[in-house]
Amino acid sequence: MTGVLAFTLYDWHYFFAQLVAGLTLGSLYALLALGYTMVYGILKLLNFAHGDVYMVGAYIGYFVLTALGGALSPVIPVVPLILLMFMAAMTGCAVLGVVIERFAYRPLRRAPRIAPLISALGVSFFIQQSAVLLWGAIPRSYNTFSLHNGVLFTYVTIGNLRLQYAQILVILSAIALMASLTLFVWRTTTGKAMRATSFDPEAASMMGIDIDRVISVTFLIGSALAGAAGVMTGLIYQNVQPYMGFGAGLKAFTAAVVGGIGNIGGAMLGGMLIGVAESLTIGYLSSTFQDLIVFTVLIVFMLFRPTGLRGTPVLQKV
Amino acid sequence: MSAGAPPPPTPSTSSATTSPQIGADEWVRRAGERLVDRTPQLVLLLVFVVLVALIPVITSNEYIVRVATDTMLYVLLATGLNVAVGWAGLLDLGYIAFYGFAAYLFAELSSGHYGIHWATWITVPLVVVGTIMLGFVLALPSRRVSGDYLAIVTLFFGQIFVTLTTQGYRWDWFGFGGVHDITGGPTGLTQVDPFRVFGHQLTQARDYLWVALAGFAVIAIGLSAANHSRTGRAWRALRDDPLAAEVMGIPVNRLMMFAVAAGAGVAGFAGAVNGAYYQGVFPTSFAFPTLITVYAMVILGGAGSLPGVVLGAIVVNVLLEVLRTPEHARWVFYVAVLAGLIAKVRPWRMLGAVLGGLVAFGLVVNAIVGAVWPRGTAGPLYAGGADFTTHGWFATAVRHWLVLPKNTYELPNYTIGNYAFVILIALVLTLTVVRGWKRYVLLVPTLWLAAFVWENRLVEEAPTTRPLFLGVILIVLMATRPQGLLGTPRVEVV
Amino acid sequence: MSGAPLLELRKLSVSFGGLVVIDELDLHVDEREIVSVIGPNGAGKTTVFNLITGTYRPDGGEILLAGENLVGLRPHEITTRGIARTFQTLRLFLNMTVKENVMAAQYGRTRSTILESMLHFPRARREERKIHAAAEEKLAFFGERLMGYRWNQPAYSLSYANRRRLEIARAMATEPRILLLDEPAAGMNPVETHEITELIGRLRDDGGYTILVIEHDMHVVEGISDRVVALDHGVKIAEGSFEAVATDPRVVEAYLGTAATTTK
Repeated sequence: MTGVLAFTLYDWHYFFAQLVAGLTLGSLYALLALGYTMVYGILKLLNFAHGDVYMVGAYIGYFVLTALGGALSPVIPVVPLILLMFMAAMTGCAVLGVVIERFAYRPLRRAPRIAPLISALGVSFFIQQSAVLLWGAIPRSYNTFSLHNGVLFTYVTIGNLRLQYAQILVILSAIALMASLTLFVWRTTTGKAMRATSFDPEAASMMGIDIDRVISVTFLIGSALAGAAGVMTGLIYQNVQPYMGFGAGLKAFTAAVVGGIGNIGGAMLGGMLIGVAESLTIGYLSSTFQDLIVFTVLIVFMLFRPTGLRGTPVLQKV
Repeated sequence: MSAGAPPPPTPSTSSATTSPQIGADEWVRRAGERLVDRTPQLVLLLVFVVLVALIPVITSNEYIVRVATDTMLYVLLATGLNVAVGWAGLLDLGYIAFYGFAAYLFAELSSGHYGIHWATWITVPLVVVGTIMLGFVLALPSRRVSGDYLAIVTLFFGQIFVTLTTQGYRWDWFGFGGVHDITGGPTGLTQVDPFRVFGHQLTQARDYLWVALAGFAVIAIGLSAANHSRTGRAWRALRDDPLAAEVMGIPVNRLMMFAVAAGAGVAGFAGAVNGAYYQGVFPTSFAFPTLITVYAMVILGGAGSLPGVVLGAIVVNVLLEVLRTPEHARWVFYVAVLAGLIAKVRPWRMLGAVLGGLVAFGLVVNAIVGAVWPRGTAGPLYAGGADFTTHGWFATAVRHWLVLPKNTYELPNYTIGNYAFVILIALVLTLTVVRGWKRYVLLVPTLWLAAFVWENRLVEEAPTTRPLFLGVILIVLMATRPQGLLGTPRVEVV
Repeated sequence: MSGAPLLELRKLSVSFGGLVVIDELDLHVDEREIVSVIGPNGAGKTTVFNLITGTYRPDGGEILLAGENLVGLRPHEITTRGIARTFQTLRLFLNMTVKENVMAAQYGRTRSTILESMLHFPRARREERKIHAAAEEKLAFFGERLMGYRWNQPAYSLSYANRRRLEIARAMATEPRILLLDEPAAGMNPVETHEITELIGRLRDDGGYTILVIEHDMHVVEGISDRVVALDHGVKIAEGSFEAVATDPRVVEAYLGTAATTTK
């Protein structure tokens, strides 16, 4: 342990680089985790298909990029291009999420607990394979390095520390999105309705809240965030392929559990933690163990702190 | 009361048109319905074993025997998964990792990899016991963890297993001790020994069919006995209401572990047979797609019913096999659509109208497209492999009814097919929402488009079509008939 | 009748999220006594049951069954030590048959392992017969209502009153020393209520059970109780015979409000 600590302090720059990479990755996990945590909070449903919505978002960004000339010769400047990619992905994924809820989960509201879970598995698998059918299993590349001579990857130096534009972009936009979500949930009527529904759906519906609409909005927001995360992934990590949603989804769900399932602030915190943990593992141990570390974190939390860092213990009404 | 007055007419309960709801009425109506329920399970098992055992005797077609052996392995898997999912109501999404673990363990103990070649009568029980223990370990966290969380933990575990086996060829112990090749990496382990029983090496598919069948018979009897005992009742109580079960004196966590471990044991046996039969183990055989396959079998057959999941395994695997070759797959598609229509569309006049409308629609569209864009109808019918055909009565009929475009570089068929696929999904979803006559009207273009997508796209892409079909099975079953073919409909404890 | 109580709660306390729900509660039930717990909604009555059965963990105090402290034990361990309960909102195993519901509760009283069941060992077969007999005996307690063809009907096909009876039968099948009945007469018409009152008496007289009942219907309370305990906001406010508690000003105030105590 002291060895690691000493090693860290010795090569401060390396540690910082891993930390920033971890925060970037963590921002992506946080955005994904929000979708999981909100849906679980309201419906008590593990939406397995959420990771695949994220994957679709990454592909939408890719197609917008290609349609506008691709990374090598875009027909519009970088900033509007990236904005457009985000908007398209977020809109497309929002629609996809609402459709999934409406057709795969809503008919099962009164069914045994296991039914929507199985349906979610089916939807996840179906979306993955549809992506293979439509777009092929070979990964597509955003080719961001060629975008405007790789401007996104140039380093910016703040004081003693070096960051890439892309990383700043991701972390800041994630924070912006999460801040807007928090404002939405705490200040708007719909947000209040969402909180009420996640607390007690029956009582909420008796207070005149349209449960169906609230649930659709929840899926809409969660999926839009996932779409944004998809585009960010493409921008930073280049490659998108049909199975990318599966692993990311698992880790994002771990982040949601760590932060406290159903808790929005917790999802953000959990996402960052998981991202940093994974990044440090890759940096200091080896990439073979990155999945294992996250899995271990999940098990540890489930055994010793199932309500997560910021979750409130749920009282079972007997 | 005047003697001659007739009693007032009783209001008719239109039970003929309303589908029975879960509850007392439905249960009474269903009582004594199914032949399967009334036949003692032992008789069913006997019939099944005899029929399957005779397959290699009756036919000398090696392909059929191999498919039967494959199916038998799936029957074992479905039986094992049924214990946790069907009997105890636990969503074990890491089940496939038990299968893989067993196969790999068997391979490590009897192959050229480490040069260890232990005898079959040692390795098989060892593998089974090892997998059971793994099951116990995996279910250990379940004491703190509700059903949903168990699903995620097991799913993650399955993912870890795939990662470990794929990366296991360059395993370094955190930088110490050099690099070891434990699992053979993405190419897996080959040169795995076949079974040796009584000095005789088992090399033919039929041998493994019988081995799997014998194992299944023993397992089925044992598991069934367990399910009819206090353990089975405790599992059913746990499935219905874990909290009430615990308050009634049932050690819920222990029973969860039993269920997972029992299923793991069955997967363990299947894994050993798998390793020996294929004489090799590969990471891709034990990943998410296989898991979904087994789940589709269990759900389709009826979770909780042992005969059900066996039936589900047979139906799903045979269908998947048929979908491999376009010739047969094509027939399955058309027959399934026709059967579905005949079963669901009433009265007969409406059925006739839909079918007639379908044929007319196709002919009209074909004529219009043919006139406007000649290339659109010039394409041949896909016949499998690299063959296309334009002859034969079937091909001619389809070419005049459907639109089969000629493949070109600028607008390749698969692009057209892709767009059609998306539109088809939208149409199907819309179908579920509209009611009455609008539904029948929409049915015509939807079915035509389905045939279009099928012939132009899906038929050629068997490796993707098969998984798509599995995903659809799960979604549709949950929405329409969650108890599957032979399961009993359940009342949900809200 | 021995001197020490069968069940004793000493200074039992629990809070949920800062709200004190049970506050240093002392309660005891002697062997073969029938004690009723009354109080307005939200008084914490069901919470007491949940604490006793181990579903909730208390923050302080002790729960003693024949002198043994049950705090910290898992629910199924508490049940095998001799406490059984029914639920205010029924929690039957709806998809199991009537008889299976009762048989399932015998799990804690049998010992044969999975292996023994699989291989049909003699002990497993013997215990299976014993479970069947015990289930039939408990169900017979309710007359003809849960007998004969009813045994193989799924629990979801039963009427409401029969479901309540089945839950009691199931609780009896755990072979407890003390039965905790949570609002056994809830939702029943006067005839059924009368039957339940008689039934509870028979449970004690013929079955030998000690009974702790939560009930709102004062006719039932009056008809069955040796002693009544009144709770309000997690605190015991009165204890004694039915007459004494029913006329206690604090009890009246808890149910009806302050002004009511002045109009007597």
